[in-house]
Amino acid sequence: MFLVNFLIRRLAQGAVIVLLVSFLIFTLLRVVPGDPVRLIVGGMAPDALVEQIAEEMGLRDPIPVQFFRYMSGVVQGDMGQSFIRPASGAAVGGASFDDNTRSERANVLDLIADTAPYTLQLAVLAMVFALVIALPIGIYGGLKPGKWPDRFALYIGSLLISLPNFWLGIVLALVVSVNLGWLPAIGYQGFSYTILPAIVLAVEIAPFLIRTLTVSVAQNMGESYISVAAIRGISHRRIVMAHALKNSSVPLLNLLGVQFSMLLGGVLVVEFIFDYPGLGLLTINAVLQRDFPLIQGIAIVTSAAFVMINIVVDLIATTIDPRLDY
Amino acid sequence: MPNTMEVIGPDAKEARARTIAQRIALGAWRSIEFRIGLFVFTTMVLLSIFWPMVSAIDPMKINIGAKLTPPVLFGENWTWTHPLGTDQLGRDMLMRCFVGLRYSLFIGLATVMIMLAVGCLVGLWAGYRGGLTDTILMRITDAQLSIPMIILAIAILGVSRPTIPAIILVLGLSGWPVYARVMRSVVMAERKREFVRGATILGASDLRIMFLLLLPLCLPPIAFVAVLDVARMIIFESVLGFLGLGVQPPTPTFGNIIADGRKYLVNAWWIATVPGIFLFLTLASLNLMGAALERSRNRVYGGKA
Repeated sequence: MFLVNFLIRRLAQGAVIVLLVSFLIFTLLRVVPGDPVRLIVGGMAPDALVEQIAEEMGLRDPIPVQFFRYMSGVVQGDMGQSFIRPASGAAVGGASFDDNTRSERANVLDLIADTAPYTLQLAVLAMVFALVIALPIGIYGGLKPGKWPDRFALYIGSLLISLPNFWLGIVLALVVSVNLGWLPAIGYQGFSYTILPAIVLAVEIAPFLIRTLTVSVAQNMGESYISVAAIRGISHRRIVMAHALKNSSVPLLNLLGVQFSMLLGGVLVVEFIFDYPGLGLLTINAVLQRDFPLIQGIAIVTSAAFVMINIVVDLIATTIDPRLDY
Repeated sequence: MPNTMEVIGPDAKEARARTIAQRIALGAWRSIEFRIGLFVFTTMVLLSIFWPMVSAIDPMKINIGAKLTPPVLFGENWTWTHPLGTDQLGRDMLMRCFVGLRYSLFIGLATVMIMLAVGCLVGLWAGYRGGLTDTILMRITDAQLSIPMIILAIAILGVSRPTIPAIILVLGLSGWPVYARVMRSVVMAERKREFVRGATILGASDLRIMFLLLLPLCLPPIAFVAVLDVARMIIFESVLGFLGLGVQPPTPTFGNIIADGRKYLVNAWWIATVPGIFLFLTLASLNLMGAALERSRNRVYGGKA
């Protein structure tokens, strides 16, 4: 019963958030200068044609009307069609306005569904790498607060967070890919193309994990249940592994929920540098081409993902620590 | 804070005489990483302010004859005139880095100011008022928090023209929600305390309580840790520049220098890598200071200093 209540409440709140986000993005895109119709029909089209197409697409209606029409499509699973991309493949933005060969435009939902798995693969691998870096450093640092492992965690965290991701990407591509020839870097033709981008992303995430882990492990080790456990005759190893770490993982999970948007920003840049065909590259291209429906679609999908991840995080956190009440 | 008065040890008197802000700053100053950070950061700032004034080299002057000169001690025909080499148009890299640093620092600082101002005002208002005001403001905050900042920034800057005020405004307005949340939780805890009730009984207006009593108490711990966000914003600004959505060329910024240098990576590695090292040093110094301040704050609030 608790679970049902919780889910209903959180999903309702989430729906409000997604609605707000989509309205915000929708309005912003229509308020800022730059006419997308001009991009669709090309620079040579007469003004009358621009106006005519804009009327046909409903782009001259009041914003609330447009938003209502758009949202009624979205709830039926129709996010509209891309302004620019044809269903068959490559973008043809700015093609001639009387080009009859231009085929039907791609569905926004299809575009997102095609690229999302790549991004998911990248994100998961990056998470694994980040944990591999952060777990030993963070836990060891937390076990010895004030001593050198703690300082080491602080320094390494400060240094890693200071590496700009795009610069690291370029340097790694130059050294690992061009000079050493160990890993492929640009594009996507197999799993090995994910590794280098994932490393760059992991370096970006790891400092946050290290900092959270150090603080939460140190805090838990100071609690009385830890000192009592030693009196109960439980080995130090088991106290750390089973008791302290279990409770320290709650802040780590929360971090995942809060820092989701940061992860996404990193994905965007990393995919752009490595020309990795995921959601991030799609977003950048959509923005540069003023593909409004696509930008809106991506904003809705990512904010929905944010809401879902936070719900799942809170659920897992309550199973780890039943005292937590959401 | 009155309830942490019973500090044990000889420092008790000393600790009582100082405000929390002073104690945090002093605690950070005692750590070696803060001093290193401060030293590097001050050097960088002074150099970026005065070097372009002193030196006669123009960062935008094109000198094709001297193009792609490698940095000192690397490769052939390097010169002391261009210690970090030149780019594809023969412009001096050292000077371009310093000018880029100026813009980065300016944009980073201005952005964090806006974030702090907006976030703290929203948080203060929501936390003090509570009730419906709180619910509405916090739902807006949540909504904003769930749009990835960078997507919002590139969406706006991509479709409008990226000028420096626009960049500052967009980054600042997309980064405030975290501050609003922290400020709200602190204010909610403080507003139930006796001194606030006392002030209310004495007839102080809401504005007076908020700005003269609560704000000076809650702001410093948040503002100190904002140093970390200056570093984050500098990275954001250079990412935008890298994507071509930041400060536009020919004005040099780290982002657009590196984006340019990417095309010459194999022949002239220094164009893309040297500004990155500059950026890294600046960010590392900021992050070291921020981390030291954050630790010191946690110690002060944990009652250990």
